[in-house]
Amino acid sequence: MELKRGTVILEIKNWTVCYGPIKALDKVDLKIRKGEIIVLFGSNGSGKSTLLKSLVGLKKPVEGTILYRQKDIHSWNTEDIIRSGIYLIPEEGGIFRSLTVKENLQIGAYNNYYQYKKRLEEVIQLFPVLKQRLTQIAGTLSGGEQKILAFGKALMFPYQILIFDEPSLGLSPFYTDYIFKLINKLHHLGYTILLSEQNIYQGFKYAHRIYVLERGKIILQGEAEELRNNPKILEAYFGNQNSGRQYI
Amino acid sequence: MIIIAQIINGIALGSIYVLLVTGFNLLFLVGKIIHFSYPYMVILSMYACWAILQITDRLILVIIGTILTSLGLHLLIEPLFYYLNKKSISLDINTSFILSLGSALILTEVMSHHIYYGFPVAFPINWLDNFTFFKIDMINISSGQIYTLSVSIFLVLTLFSLIYKTQLGRAFRAITESTSKARLQGISVLKLNVLLFSIAGIIGGVIALLLSILLGSASPWLGDYIALKVLAVAIVAGLGNLKGGLICGLSLGIIESLIIHFFPGSWTNTIAFLMMLTVVLMKPKGIFGR
Repeated sequence: MELKRGTVILEIKNWTVCYGPIKALDKVDLKIRKGEIIVLFGSNGSGKSTLLKSLVGLKKPVEGTILYRQKDIHSWNTEDIIRSGIYLIPEEGGIFRSLTVKENLQIGAYNNYYQYKKRLEEVIQLFPVLKQRLTQIAGTLSGGEQKILAFGKALMFPYQILIFDEPSLGLSPFYTDYIFKLINKLHHLGYTILLSEQNIYQGFKYAHRIYVLERGKIILQGEAEELRNNPKILEAYFGNQNSGRQYI
Repeated sequence: MIIIAQIINGIALGSIYVLLVTGFNLLFLVGKIIHFSYPYMVILSMYACWAILQITDRLILVIIGTILTSLGLHLLIEPLFYYLNKKSISLDINTSFILSLGSALILTEVMSHHIYYGFPVAFPINWLDNFTFFKIDMINISSGQIYTLSVSIFLVLTLFSLIYKTQLGRAFRAITESTSKARLQGISVLKLNVLLFSIAGIIGGVIALLLSILLGSASPWLGDYIALKVLAVAIVAGLGNLKGGLICGLSLGIIESLIIHFFPGSWTNTIAFLMMLTVVLMKPKGIFGR
């Protein structure tokens, strides 16, 4: 059943994830509504990647609940979560470097291969650069092209929520700008987007709502416009309120 | 003429090495295990083939029975490897090797103590119409060699098509590159692992049938002989390199047959292993790389 825009699609409560005795996430609450772009800010080691991985079952919580479209998916394994419509694009893109671009896109359509041709046409239309690269080994693409392939792969299946872990990591300013424009485009195509980011300028430019993580805890959350001038954002990143203002 | 005859012998033997190495490499690539006991399971399946032949000579029953035995053995051991894989998250190859070595020893013990009092078993002569198919001068090609070669070529082509041309093969290769990335594509690693072991089991069963035709006998220690060669060929070709395994497996068969032509038969292993040792010393990652 198709959800209306603005309906809560994914919700976690008291989400606690540990690595041995260390709490990487401590009672995190997060709500994602359909059609939103949510940006997760936080410095290195704040728990952003752990949170994103745990949402798709790659890291299991020790405590907490997760509801996706009103269903408890706490005990689901990663494969089932992905097939249900939540997709994570990891930091490095998650592409298969030893496979060709075409094979990567085919793997992207692993669970709906009957739609492969139709989806491929749509992806090629959206990312024309991939058309010339179809037979090229993915590992030989440039960093930016690899990110584009990762995006293309994500669009080969009708996912509901796209989760990006630091999509601009390691990219030039040109590609960073391009990638964020793409994310915005995906939002306009109807995708719900959750992303973690260190680039606060780009994050604020496109986010509807912001969450700020610090040492595994949500220290700040709210509408992007409301938080734009909140000094705590800068504190979380730079340690004091006066540094880095020019980046927002 | 004798050399040509030996080369033909070598190709038939080499095609079995190719099948064994392909099965072994597949398990290494996708299952991320060194399945040292793979050839031992093949030998146990040869015993099953022999046992069925004591009851009936209906070919279809012999084929099904042998393949099912090999399949069953592989499905029995699969959960152990999967459990190990899951426990250690990123699999420790050494642990899987110990498990595999242990199961190989157990299988050898079972065969040497409990089947036919450990004596080698001989297959009935011409149980598969193993007649002379073609003869010119010294060149004598038996139907057994033709069966072996044609079945091996068919299986290798099928396997390579499966791996490189189908969605299932792409999923296997995706798991080979990264299990976690594959899971992020919704690929069920557990299901594919079971499928992989099933494929390896079926290939094992076919190899057992081919070896039964070609060798005409089986013994508990045949596993040691074949396992060492399979491991050596896989390493010389480049562990996990399917195309390399194909070329090196076939080459080993031919080289061994030629050695028999020029040296006493007992020197076959020594010379073959010396050659492989030299290659490994010069190219530690194998001729074709990993």
